[in-house]
Amino acid sequence: MKKKNPAFCHTKAFWMFVLPSLLLFGAFFLVPLGLSIWFSFTNYDGWKTMDFIGIKNYTSILTNADFYKTVTRTIIYTVCNLPFKIAIPLLLAALVTSSKLKGTTLVRTMIYIPVLFSALVAGITINWMFGQEYGLINFLLQKMGIEPLQWSLNPVLATVVISVASNWISAGYYMLMYVGGINNISKELYEAASVDGATKVQAFFRLTLPLLMPTTFIVLLLSTVNLLKEYALVQGISLGGPGSSTTYIVQYIFDQGFNQYRYGYASAAGIVISLLFIVIAMIQFKATKGGGEV
Amino acid sequence: MKGATKQRLETVLITILGIAVALLMIFPIIWLCFSSFKPSTELFAYPLHLFPQNPSTDSYIGVVEDGLFTYVKNSLFLAVVGTLITVVISAMCGYALAIYRKEISYVNKVFAVFLLGTLIPGEILTISQFTVVSEMGLYNNIWGCILPVVTTTTGIFMYRQHYMSIPLELVESGRLDGASEFHIFRALMLPLGSSVTITLTIFSFMWRWNDYILPLMVLSDQEKFTIQIAIKSYIGTMGVDWNSILAASILSIIPIIVIFIILQRYITGGLAATGVKG
Repeated sequence: MKKKNPAFCHTKAFWMFVLPSLLLFGAFFLVPLGLSIWFSFTNYDGWKTMDFIGIKNYTSILTNADFYKTVTRTIIYTVCNLPFKIAIPLLLAALVTSSKLKGTTLVRTMIYIPVLFSALVAGITINWMFGQEYGLINFLLQKMGIEPLQWSLNPVLATVVISVASNWISAGYYMLMYVGGINNISKELYEAASVDGATKVQAFFRLTLPLLMPTTFIVLLLSTVNLLKEYALVQGISLGGPGSSTTYIVQYIFDQGFNQYRYGYASAAGIVISLLFIVIAMIQFKATKGGGEV
Repeated sequence: MKGATKQRLETVLITILGIAVALLMIFPIIWLCFSSFKPSTELFAYPLHLFPQNPSTDSYIGVVEDGLFTYVKNSLFLAVVGTLITVVISAMCGYALAIYRKEISYVNKVFAVFLLGTLIPGEILTISQFTVVSEMGLYNNIWGCILPVVTTTTGIFMYRQHYMSIPLELVESGRLDGASEFHIFRALMLPLGSSVTITLTIFSFMWRWNDYILPLMVLSDQEKFTIQIAIKSYIGTMGVDWNSILAASILSIIPIIVIFIILQRYITGGLAATGVKG
C-alpha cells in the first residue's frame, strides 16, 4: 500500500477547517462588497431596472446637499461625543480599581449591565426618561422650578438624548478595557511616586494617564467607528428627527435604498462612506501591529 | 491612629461613591421596570412616583397575548443556532490558521482575506447583503438572519491568537499516535480553547439576541419576528405604544442579564483582552 503524503494530508485538512468560514464569508461579505461596487454604477431599484449609468451616482452624491449635511452632522455628533467616550470610562475605571472600594465586583457588574442591551432597547430606555410630557427628567426639572425641556422637538436636545444613550451603553465596555490597562501598570511605580511625595491626583495625571495612552487610542478608534455608524439607538429615540436633525449616515443609506428604492445611489453612498472607515481601520491596524495587541 | 481613621473614612467615601455611580448607571432600567408595572392611567399622570401606586401586570399580559413567546422563541433560535455555528466554524478556522502557519506558505494570506471583514462595517453592506439573501430564497426566513452574520473575524482572530500560544509539539505528538488531523482538533485541541469558547459564546449570544438591522430587513411575517423587531413594531408612525414597549423591553433583557450573571466570572478576565467589535 502506498503511504499517504503527510504534506498533502495537512493541506487538505487546512482547507477543510477553513472552508466553512471562507464560504460564508465569501457569500455574505465578499460577494455583497462586489455587488455594492457594481450597483453603485447602475440605477438599480431593487426590483427590475438595472442599467449601467457610469459614475452618475457618484457625481450626484458629491453634489447633493443632503448627503453633505448628513455626513457633517454625523461627524459633529461623533466628535462631540468622543471626549465623553474616553473621560467617563476612564473615571469609572479609576473608581473601580481603587483599593479603597468595597464590593468591587458588584459595582463593576452594575456598571457593565447596560452594555448587554440592544441599541434599540437602550434607546427606548433613555427615551422613556427624557419623555417630553411624562418623562422623569422633565418632571424633576419642574419640581426644581425649571421649565420642562423639549427633548424631542429641539434638534440639539434630541441629539443630547441620543448621546446620553450612546454613552450609557458603551461606558461599561470601555471601562473594562481601561481596567485591563490599569492592571497592567506596575504597582511599584505608584509606590515610587508616593515615596517621592506625589499625591494621588498627581499620580493619576502624571503616571496613570500617560501609561494608558495605548488603551485610550483603541477606545478612541472603536468609539469613532461606533459613533459614525450609530443607527439602531436612534430608532429607539427620535427616528432621525425632528426633521432630519438626527439622521446619520447609516440611516441615510437605508432611507435611500430601502425606502426610496435607489439601491444604486445608496450603494455608491456606502462606498464613499466606506473610504472613511477604511482609513480608520488602517490606522488601527498599523497601531496595533496587525490587530494583535488590542 | 489618626492615619487609620483617615484610611477608614476614605474607604467609606469611595465605597459610597462607587455604589452611587453603580445605581445611577442601572437607574434607567429600574425606572423602566417599575414603569412597566404601571397601568396607563398612572403612566401618563402627574405626579410621577417611583413605585407603581396600583401595580398591574396588564402590560405583560398584553404583550404575551400579542405573541411575545413566539418572538422569544424566534430570537432564541437565532441566538442559539447562530452562536453554535459561529463557535464551531471560528474554532476550526482560527485553529487551522494557527497550526498550519509553519507548514503551509499561504496561511497568512487566507487570514488576510478574513481581515478584510474588519475594514468595512456590515451596516454599509446591508443593502447588497439583503440582495444576496433574497437571491438565495432566504427572504422572510430566519436563516437569512443567521448565515450572513455567523462568520466573525473577531471570533476567528481570538481562536487564532489562542492556538498560536500552544506549542506545536502537542499536535505533533497526536500525529505520532496516529490520530487524524480532525481528531487531534476535536479531542485534543478544542478543549484547550475552552476559555475562548466561553467568551465567544457569551458575546455571540448577545450579538444575535440583540441583532436588529438584518432581521428588520429580512423578516416580513409577524410570526417570524424576533423580539427586537417586535419591540420596534410598537413604535408606530402615529405614536408609541408605551405600555407594550416597556413590558417587552424588560422581558427582552432578562435572558441576557441572567446569562451574563451566571457566566461573567469566566469572562471578566478575558473581556478586556478582546476589545474588538460591539
